[in-house]
Amino acid sequence: MLLARVVGSVWGTRQAPGLEGYRLLVVRPLRMSGADAGPGSVEDVEPVADGTEHLRPDDGVLVVVDHLGAGPGELVLVAHGSRCRDLTLGESVPTKEVTVAIVDRADVSAGARI
Amino acid sequence: MILGRVVGTLWSTRKDARLGSSKLLLVRPYFYYNPTHETELVVAVDTVHAGVGDDVVLCLGAPARWSLGSVNLPVDAAVLGVVDRCQLQRTAFGTRRGGAGAAAQPLGFIGGDPPAGVEWI
Repeated sequence: MLLARVVGSVWGTRQAPGLEGYRLLVVRPLRMSGADAGPGSVEDVEPVADGTEHLRPDDGVLVVVDHLGAGPGELVLVAHGSRCRDLTLGESVPTKEVTVAIVDRADVSAGARI
Repeated sequence: MILGRVVGTLWSTRKDARLGSSKLLLVRPYFYYNPTHETELVVAVDTVHAGVGDDVVLCLGAPARWSLGSVNLPVDAAVLGVVDRCQLQRTAFGTRRGGAGAAAQPLGFIGGDPPAGVEWI
């Protein structure tokens, strides 16, 4: 599962049968911040006091199907795979990424590095 | 399975009911293992009372659900063990302290450093 920040939504008028009625969220997975964190991305999301001050958004984005009602700025837990899809949305929804939790708080220690 | 370090804990109120009171750990892998998305952090359900700072073994996919006792859980990662001891063959990782002429590492660690307490053989 991935810890990710919701940064937006996407809509489509013509979409695959099964996707109708679901919100599609654009999310950015979080990674460690710091000098050893590899190629950087610009901090374009306002820091939120939810424990992720030591994390930063990854370079890539992911579009996930939401059934919990998550909104922009919130932290979500994204599960991958057809089994997670079947259990949450149903077998007829054409996706492999689904939100399974809206995260209230993450405790990540500042010195947490490998 | 993936070797990683627990770097944090998550709390959530609004979540899929089948997640129940599962403890969620934020794990930073030492190596990538067939990632569906190349990410630096993985969230996994804890089954072994691991804590922040522990080196753990986690697995992804269906075996993660088996370890939780039910396949009817919307979960794709679980921590299966806390690592007490770790032996690694140095030659598999290239030369880290070889001085000026050090060879490039064929296989590196994410974040740069090996697991704490590693025993090189």
